[in-house]
Amino acid sequence: MWRRLAVIADMLLLVPVLAAEALRPEKTIILPTDVVIRFTAISPAGTFVAGICRDQKLRLWDVSAGSLSRTLDLGGERLTSVRFSDDGQLVALGGAKGGVRIWELPSATLKLEFTNPSEVNALAISRDRKLVAAAPLEEAVEVWDLSSAKQVAKMRAPFSGTSALAFSPDSHWLATADGDTSIRLYDARTGKLRNSVDDLLLESFAIVFSTDGKYILTGGADKVVNVIDASSGKVLRSLAKQDDVLLDLRQSRDGKRLVAAYVNADDPSKASPVVIWDLETQSPRTRILEPGVVPNGGEFLLDGRLLMTSGSEKELKIWSVSP
Amino acid sequence: MLDSSGLSRREVLQKCVALGSITLIASQSSAAMLLAFEEKELHKPTPPNELGPFYKKRAPQTAMLRAAGDPGMPLSVSGQILDTRGEKLPNVVVEVWQTDHLGHYDLDGYRYRAKLPADGSGNYKFESVMPGHYPDRVCQHIHYLVTAPGHKPLVTQLYFATDPVFEGDPDKNFNRDPLIHSRELVRPVMLVGDPKDIHAAVNFELCLERV
Repeated sequence: MWRRLAVIADMLLLVPVLAAEALRPEKTIILPTDVVIRFTAISPAGTFVAGICRDQKLRLWDVSAGSLSRTLDLGGERLTSVRFSDDGQLVALGGAKGGVRIWELPSATLKLEFTNPSEVNALAISRDRKLVAAAPLEEAVEVWDLSSAKQVAKMRAPFSGTSALAFSPDSHWLATADGDTSIRLYDARTGKLRNSVDDLLLESFAIVFSTDGKYILTGGADKVVNVIDASSGKVLRSLAKQDDVLLDLRQSRDGKRLVAAYVNADDPSKASPVVIWDLETQSPRTRILEPGVVPNGGEFLLDGRLLMTSGSEKELKIWSVSP
Repeated sequence: MLDSSGLSRREVLQKCVALGSITLIASQSSAAMLLAFEEKELHKPTPPNELGPFYKKRAPQTAMLRAAGDPGMPLSVSGQILDTRGEKLPNVVVEVWQTDHLGHYDLDGYRYRAKLPADGSGNYKFESVMPGHYPDRVCQHIHYLVTAPGHKPLVTQLYFATDPVFEGDPDKNFNRDPLIHSRELVRPVMLVGDPKDIHAAVNFELCLERV
């Protein structure tokens, strides 16, 4: 499974941003000299940009003020995964030794803490903010209840682990993109398997539900976006194949756009595109090929805007992408 | 197997349990204890190593991964497939995948990917080329997925003692690749053939745990 997102971002962050017609600068944050960002995530509320830093701290910058708001960590553990809840009110952080912590924002109150058996590969928070799922490398996915602080379900693929996770919009189902190339849909609370999509030949590294919950969208080493019927588990169609491996996916709130970040599998240091797909026409709408735009920093906000990040050792830039 | 008193190990252990010289842990049945005792001094399972991102389902069944004229050092890999009791496993499916000699994975097709035909005797063998260095990994490697009825699937990787990364000393330097957690996965490489037709040969024994 793919665990080099941070490494790719490390390299891309060092490349200066070139002008791009589709990108509009929103904010530039000057970084302290001792802070180097490895990769970023943006709160869907648009309030914070989170930077996973080389000193193993998660820094939350206030997007509108451009100032540092909070610094969080896992007690020195190397940080491998970060995820905001869909409303931006929670942030989950995972580490190389399996540590997981979830905080409420903006107060940064610790809500839950647990430890996975291995490096945390992916995290997801249900839309109702009651469940958090974590995928430890090569191990079973764990689902925890935030109010009871208890593990409620465990889902294991026949071999290997899980690369990506997504809760359905009604928070009932959990979809997993597994190392054995299958996509599995489970009851998030019981862990009971609802269906398994076994037609994909290569592993998916990204997974999202459509806004109505009817479809699961995945992409990965096969370089396509697959549209899967959530109830039957059938692959309905695939969007046009690209040259690069798909690494990350986000869908707009209105369900009309999908932003997909790609990486060159043969040379991850090469600039790879971010493609904004029009889901109505199923064709690429905007193609951003700019060195320095960190693909895993992209996020559709609650207000419909799409934000991305880029940067250097000195600054972090936040861009909005024209609709 | 009989010990010097003429009793089998199982019988000796059963006697010890009956006489109270061995206390069973409450959560373990005597059968489980006997099983554990019987397995103790036999083979260790092959250390697992992560799957990596480019496993591809439905690889062709072949032992010849190398095509005529392929560049790179020809490589033969072979080994036995055992269980932890040291018994050969005849009905095993071994899938292998690797980069070409330049470190590129074939994601669009099945170059250097294969499901090895079981030979029914617990041995496997395939012909390939020495993989190149994948840009995101430190060491040359070949991925394995090994499955057999009644045994835990084994996901692991084979590494080469000749890898320049080890600077000739894999004992000391094997963990220069942060993904190599066990020295055991780094195997010696024999160079065989005459100087005009030299190729590399590696033996990699696989040992599976029972479910």
